Amino acid sequence: MIPQNLLQSTTQKCTTGCPILDRLLRGGIPCDSITEIVAESGSGKTQICLQLSLHAQLPVSHGGLSASALYLHTEFPFPFRRLHQLSLSFRSSNARHLPCNDNPCDRVYVQSVHSADELLEIMSKTESFIESSKTQLPVRLIVIDSIAALFRSEFDNTPVELKRRSSLFFKISSMLKALARRFNLAVLLTNQVVDMVGPNEGINGLRIGNLGCLYTSGRRVCPALGLAWANCVNSRLFLSRHEEVNREENGKLIGESGGFVCKQTRRKLYVVFAPHLPESSCEFVITREGLFGVEITAC
Amino acid sequence: MEIWRLPISASQRGKLISAGYTTLSSLSSISSSDLARESKVSESEALDILKFASHSHSGGWEMSSGNCSIFEGAQNAWDMLHEEESLVHITTSSADLDNILGGGIHCKEVTEIGGVPGIGKTQLGIQIAVNVQIPHGFGGLGGKAIYIDTEGSFMVERALQIAEACIEDMSEYNRFIRKDFQACEIRMQPKDILGNIFYFRICSYTEQIALINYLDKFISEHKDVKVVVVDSVTFHFRQDFDDMALRTRVLSGMALKLMKLAKKFSLAVVLLNQVTTKHTEGSFQLALALGDSWSHTCTNRIVLYWNGNERYAYIDKSPSLRSASAAYSVTRRGIRNSSSSCKRIKMM
Repeated sequence: MIPQNLLQSTTQKCTTGCPILDRLLRGGIPCDSITEIVAESGSGKTQICLQLSLHAQLPVSHGGLSASALYLHTEFPFPFRRLHQLSLSFRSSNARHLPCNDNPCDRVYVQSVHSADELLEIMSKTESFIESSKTQLPVRLIVIDSIAALFRSEFDNTPVELKRRSSLFFKISSMLKALARRFNLAVLLTNQVVDMVGPNEGINGLRIGNLGCLYTSGRRVCPALGLAWANCVNSRLFLSRHEEVNREENGKLIGESGGFVCKQTRRKLYVVFAPHLPESSCEFVITREGLFGVEITAC
Repeated sequence: MEIWRLPISASQRGKLISAGYTTLSSLSSISSSDLARESKVSESEALDILKFASHSHSGGWEMSSGNCSIFEGAQNAWDMLHEEESLVHITTSSADLDNILGGGIHCKEVTEIGGVPGIGKTQLGIQIAVNVQIPHGFGGLGGKAIYIDTEGSFMVERALQIAEACIEDMSEYNRFIRKDFQACEIRMQPKDILGNIFYFRICSYTEQIALINYLDKFISEHKDVKVVVVDSVTFHFRQDFDDMALRTRVLSGMALKLMKLAKKFSLAVVLLNQVTTKHTEGSFQLALALGDSWSHTCTNRIVLYWNGNERYAYIDKSPSLRSASAAYSVTRRGIRNSSSSCKRIKMM
């Protein structure tokens, strides 16, 4: 056993496709590491995943991994149309770095997963798939969207089942980490949230990361799957959304007369914990072209 | 054995030492009259000294070492106390934390540090791996570090950041304390610090056990290793173990080996642990992972927890330290005192 030379190893990052978000994440989603995005539905988890899958194809000199992506989805249906839409703007803005007449969607391998056991089976096959893939770009990004969906229904709330569940967590995590290590992969997972019922602290007075910021849609939430799973990821990001009612200058609601209120959603990305990042946050918007950070300038 | 251990008065000791008798062996073949003349003590005093010395040499005194040992290498508590006082601790870079730890992380001991994800276990681990390299001139150990990463949370860029801040702090200290700045300029570079961390990435528990078995050989070849950080000791032991008794045996075997390493090479072992919920009498409580029998294996146990928006460290178990807690913070530069506690001191 020989220690690894730290001077020669730098962590590669995969760009998110937005310079502002990349700056917050110091270059993007790191390789040889598991990054988790926690958010309630409709916050933009899947959007980030899709965008990252496309941007992994960029050459290393442009922040990508020059690699294809393996996209495991557990929530149905897979948003093909949105991926296609994103791929159009991705191709037009990065035409110089991509082979022409080529569809970026071809290098996003999509696989559906229905249960935790199936996930284990797929992951054991993934190794040979990555090794044998003769495509011009090797797989260097694994996305699982979402990990929570696999576990939220299948298990009972009894000590034996919970124990089996947490043992599975560690198994999945260590398989992913071993893959990430072996092929220098970036791994991105999404997770859902559960509402927090207790008074101030999390479940059983438990706090994982800086919970103070975990508000979304005016509710206090905490990441699903509990403490055991939190030990399985390296970095955790959180997306929040808040509906804001647009008001006119005189304070009258826009469209009030029409019977419905025009709402605007403010979205924010937080770093909950990460070994290489400070706790920080950034607002972002989701447009037709994708997901972009917004720098708030003092006005 | 040295002369100062003899049960004689300080003035007699002073006279002996100034006459050049510093070790017991130097007293072994000398007559009392010669000793009296050379060290300017009275004849009867010299006789007493020789009596003590020969007694002590043949193992009669409780303070003697080596010769009286029943087993080779055994030490008595007196010797160990002196040895411990001479040991340098590894600072955590937070004075408050060092304070409750009795100076920092102790060498020759196994220290376990646990806490929820995101509390700063890995940060503390990296900080210790950097701080062990602070040279002797700056109150450090000038050693090297072994970092065993089982979770993949060690980030080179973060280690580099902490190393840079550590060197900055040292040069600051240098300017502050020393006038002859040139004489003791810091020759360390952040890259050297990274080069002195032996990093092992472990992907299964069999690998983890194999590496820990191999460490004895590795450290024999790299004697300047002064700390072994395992981040975390837990991860691979929380899957695939249906037989909990087997897990306990494997873990305690591993802990014994680490403890042996700590003693043999006089180095600090830092084990990072996760927390889990423990189900007792219908209620769930937070506890460090790996179960009750594991909790016996570490000499010191430190629990990191959130208190409001501040991070705190609490000494859960230690044979020599009183239980106490202290706030700390994780900053860009690494582990530091909590900023709010600094404010409090300033206000006072």
